[in-house]
Amino acid sequence: MAAYIIRRVLASLLILLAATFLMFTLVSVSGDPLAEFVNVTDPDQKALLIQARTEALNLDEPFIAQYFLWLGGAVGCLVPGMDCDLGVNLNNQPVTALLADAFPTTLQLVLAATVLSIVLGVAIGIISAIRQYSAFDYTITFAAFLFFSLPIFWVAVLLKEFGAIRINNWLAEPAVTIPVAFVMGAFSALFFSAIIGGSRKRRALVGLAAGAGGVAVFILLVASGWFSNPGMGPGLVTLGALAGAVGATLLFTNLENRRVLFISLGTAIVGVAVAYSATPLLTDPSWLTLFGLGALATAIGVAIAVIFGDIDRAVAIRASVVTSVIVGLLVFMDKTISSFAAYSEAVNGRPIATIGSKTPNFEGTFWETTLDTMTHLALPTIAIMLISFAGYSRYSRASMLEVMNADYVRTARAKGLTERTVVLRHAFRNAMIPIVTLAALDFGAVIGGAIITETVFGWKGMGVLFTTAVNRFDTNQIMGVFILTAVAVLIFNLIADISYAVLDPRIRLT
Amino acid sequence: MTSPLTPSPTGWTGGMRSAAPEREFTIEARTQGQMVRSRFFRHRGAMLGLGALAFVVIIAYTSIGFWKIPGWWDLDYSSTGVLVNEGSPTLDLIPWVDGDGISVGAHPFGQDQIGRDYFALTMRGTQISLMVALVIGVLATFLGTVAGAISGYYGGASEAVIMRFTDLLLTIPLLIVAAVIAQWTGGKPFLLAVVLSLLIWTSLARLVRGEFLSLREKEFVEAAHAMGASSTRIIFRHMLPNCIGTIIVSATLTIAAAILIEAALSYLGFGVQSPDTSLGLLISTYQTAFNTRPWLFWWPGLFIIIIALSVNFIGDGLRDAFDPKQTRVRA
Amino acid sequence: MSTEILYVNDLTVGFPTDDGLVTAVRGVSYSLKEREVLAIVGESGSGKSVSAMALMGLLPKSARITGSIRYRNEEVLEMSPKRYREIRGQNIAMIFQDPMTSMNPVYTVGDQLAEAYRSHHRVERKVALAKAVEMLDRVGIPQAKDRARAYPHEFSGGMRQRAMIAMAIINSPDIIIADEPTTALDVTVQAQILETLIEVKDSVDAAVILITHDLGVVAGMAHRVLVMYAGRGVERAEVEDIYRRPRMPYTAGLLGSVPALDSAGGKLHPIAGAPPSLINLPPGCPFSPRCPLVSERCQTEEPQLLATDLAHHEVACHNWQKVAEAADPTLLFRAKAVEA
Repeated sequence: MAAYIIRRVLASLLILLAATFLMFTLVSVSGDPLAEFVNVTDPDQKALLIQARTEALNLDEPFIAQYFLWLGGAVGCLVPGMDCDLGVNLNNQPVTALLADAFPTTLQLVLAATVLSIVLGVAIGIISAIRQYSAFDYTITFAAFLFFSLPIFWVAVLLKEFGAIRINNWLAEPAVTIPVAFVMGAFSALFFSAIIGGSRKRRALVGLAAGAGGVAVFILLVASGWFSNPGMGPGLVTLGALAGAVGATLLFTNLENRRVLFISLGTAIVGVAVAYSATPLLTDPSWLTLFGLGALATAIGVAIAVIFGDIDRAVAIRASVVTSVIVGLLVFMDKTISSFAAYSEAVNGRPIATIGSKTPNFEGTFWETTLDTMTHLALPTIAIMLISFAGYSRYSRASMLEVMNADYVRTARAKGLTERTVVLRHAFRNAMIPIVTLAALDFGAVIGGAIITETVFGWKGMGVLFTTAVNRFDTNQIMGVFILTAVAVLIFNLIADISYAVLDPRIRLT
Repeated sequence: MTSPLTPSPTGWTGGMRSAAPEREFTIEARTQGQMVRSRFFRHRGAMLGLGALAFVVIIAYTSIGFWKIPGWWDLDYSSTGVLVNEGSPTLDLIPWVDGDGISVGAHPFGQDQIGRDYFALTMRGTQISLMVALVIGVLATFLGTVAGAISGYYGGASEAVIMRFTDLLLTIPLLIVAAVIAQWTGGKPFLLAVVLSLLIWTSLARLVRGEFLSLREKEFVEAAHAMGASSTRIIFRHMLPNCIGTIIVSATLTIAAAILIEAALSYLGFGVQSPDTSLGLLISTYQTAFNTRPWLFWWPGLFIIIIALSVNFIGDGLRDAFDPKQTRVRA
Repeated sequence: MSTEILYVNDLTVGFPTDDGLVTAVRGVSYSLKEREVLAIVGESGSGKSVSAMALMGLLPKSARITGSIRYRNEEVLEMSPKRYREIRGQNIAMIFQDPMTSMNPVYTVGDQLAEAYRSHHRVERKVALAKAVEMLDRVGIPQAKDRARAYPHEFSGGMRQRAMIAMAIINSPDIIIADEPTTALDVTVQAQILETLIEVKDSVDAAVILITHDLGVVAGMAHRVLVMYAGRGVERAEVEDIYRRPRMPYTAGLLGSVPALDSAGGKLHPIAGAPPSLINLPPGCPFSPRCPLVSERCQTEEPQLLATDLAHHEVACHNWQKVAEAADPTLLFRAKAVEA
């Protein structure tokens, strides 16, 4: 294993070396960084500008020398103890500083979107595979193809119009209008009839009931002024937590396993109790406080599981942990949404943002800044998710279908295992092997920035850094983004291969 | 056109059959190709996609004509004209709205702010986008197949060199290459397509290599070797036909992806350059017109989606048709 | 051998496909006594595996199953999914054809055996693992304790099939269905595996349904034989009768295609032709296009499985008397070849 990794890293470094040279050549033939001085009228000033830039970028040296000068500085970034020098850009800003600004921005943008796409895509892909040729399967297949075929910049413009501007207009004066009520009803109808499944008649009935219910809840919410001052309150949070406990139990065993069910419910109640007894701590907490409280609740849950788990201990612990996470998320969401009224006022009643990664000069409590980040993340996250979600759902559907036909899944059924165990423990575990690899590669790729999404939504991330540099033939800036991206790709390629070997005992890395 | 079931006698040979010569009954004897075709033509999504794509291709190439052949649409995509009714579209496909029936009008897709006919512009953009996607699809498939076949069949040094080369190409961003092309050629669509295919072939090469690696171990390939068949013959007669499904499906999906890649590059200003146009460039040019002249934004987007969606569905149909494991048992 | 524990009556299985309904099993009936070995013999596509899968409820949801399967006076086809699951693995266990793919590659052999035990017994994992080691030891796997921690790919084909047998008997079932258990193995290993199967079956007092295409396998093992052709049972008899006194030309043909030591050097006489397509069966007897004794009636009327001159011996053939009269029925097929 160690020998394999060393060999792979060495090979990757060679590829990286070749790639930087190729890139350097491409950039230098793509245009002249002095070209933008053509329009400077004053000849003295022009000469001065040209001379300054020539010196800063070593433009008077031969091409090969320029490359090695750059490489000399860049090598320092990979070798510990040496200075990392990626040169300066055309504005004389050090590239390392630019990257240090852009990298976290990009991470914030793509990380949530990628994780959400994977979770949603894989879940939906698997349901789609299990219900192959059902209405749900056909709908998801069509939706996935549609999302695949959407130009992201085109969607982004639509999102800004319908996902931000019009919603903000509506939120300014929430009222029951027919189009909004219709959308709410249709969404609820589609969602529940897809979840329930079954015969056409049953789906239609469920859809009808859920549609009517959706509209009713919507009217109720508008009438009670919920949209101006939203939140869940302790009652709903507790209800949600208990439902989460039931869900967690279902995920690992069945509801007839009372022991695990009661342990999960107990964990849920403990979680809610911890959250509300710590209310003073939660008015303006830090991430550390939040994680501490979360860990405390989880630890109590696990302890309950260990003490009362008996022969189902392992299952009970897992169910407890999942329940704790669900409760934590619920409380977090409740607190964040509750700060909506204050936040909305602070941003002049335009809560959903269309540009940038945060409101400039915005100051508020922890919850308000969190909400600010979320409202800025909402649209670009949806835009990125549409496309990568489609990929994951198709891929995991195909992988799952293949595995479901495998002989060992038949063996698992023949043993008399429950369908849940067959699907999750035997089929899903094997179907995940190629998907984990894909996800690792994907993470490597998204570090380079979502160029189009960043451009459209005005996020100053890696992608925008790259395109602006390409537009100005800014060699150092291009190379800086490139080397960071390429290193990320190579590292995640290695992670992909290693995770494959870890997940599949048949693979041995040599 | 489902294939007719070819009547064929049972039994191994004529001699064996003579025991009951009058008792011939039909069993299904269809060639692999016939089965693939019949499965493909039964795929509803693929048929709809094929129809929609054919419609778009025909309308794009016949309306404004191409090369030196004139089309039936008399307005030209580059000449400006008088703005009629703020340039809004005259296409009317819903007869019951204003009661004047279905009509096309002078500018069915409207006009841009300097009075150019937007139908002609969209058709020109569609032509270019289709051409770019097709060139990328064909060229990248060809390169990928050749590289994958060579590295998978011969292995050893040629495999190592080709695979490391694909690793290298995978790290190079498309954007920078497009920028070079834009700088050097002023964004000539054809050249752009050629150069992009030089980067895009790598994923297919990996696929084909994988197929070849497993085919190399198959008995029929060993048998061909044992009978003294040449390498070229084994590659072209025995191995390639066995991965034709993978190649065709991948080619289709590459075309669908290429449509979007071209659009994205043009949107960022590194693809097709003015005065020529493409669907991506049209969206990019007119995205700010969303509130004033929304049709300038809707039409090119709609065409990109129709093309990409059709090609994706055709690819799905092909995959189902080629997958030999598929015995489409319906619930 | 007295009580019948399983009755299969008029079992029919169809699959809807793009080319129409494929009826893989067309009205098969048989019964199984306690501790008995019943062999179901037929070519591939004769419906023998599908009928076993139907019994285990392992067919795809789209399969149309009719008829009756009664296990200890309980109708299997009408069972609740929950009850069915209890029976699967606990009362009726199955061994599959390809041991290479029948075990999950990502779990250790011991884990997979323990899982089978835990799904029917509420015990701690440790207890189940000990049980798994005990079973592996019983099927003749050396150093069972260490081998239980190995993954399936670290086992040889024969070892894996032994592990599958261990998995089948871990819950002491009444019935073990063995679907071509030796087909994918080396000839040298086949006999050992069959021997193990018989040994462990006796140790847990189980009956066995042995599905095979190889009459050679049947000879030393089975008590009774059901021969299947084109989805139907065509001959049902004690094993002795099948070998010495076949009444169906197809069975005679199968016997003629098995090399026997006492006829070393003698010619084999295979049955000409291929089994018919299930979508497009010939009218009358499905075997008639390949049958040397074919008569007018065979081409219009499909024969039913009916009693013959021998006790407990049934056959679906209009001309079984002719087979009975033949001195050596396997030679019928040689005559046909000569005629050609």
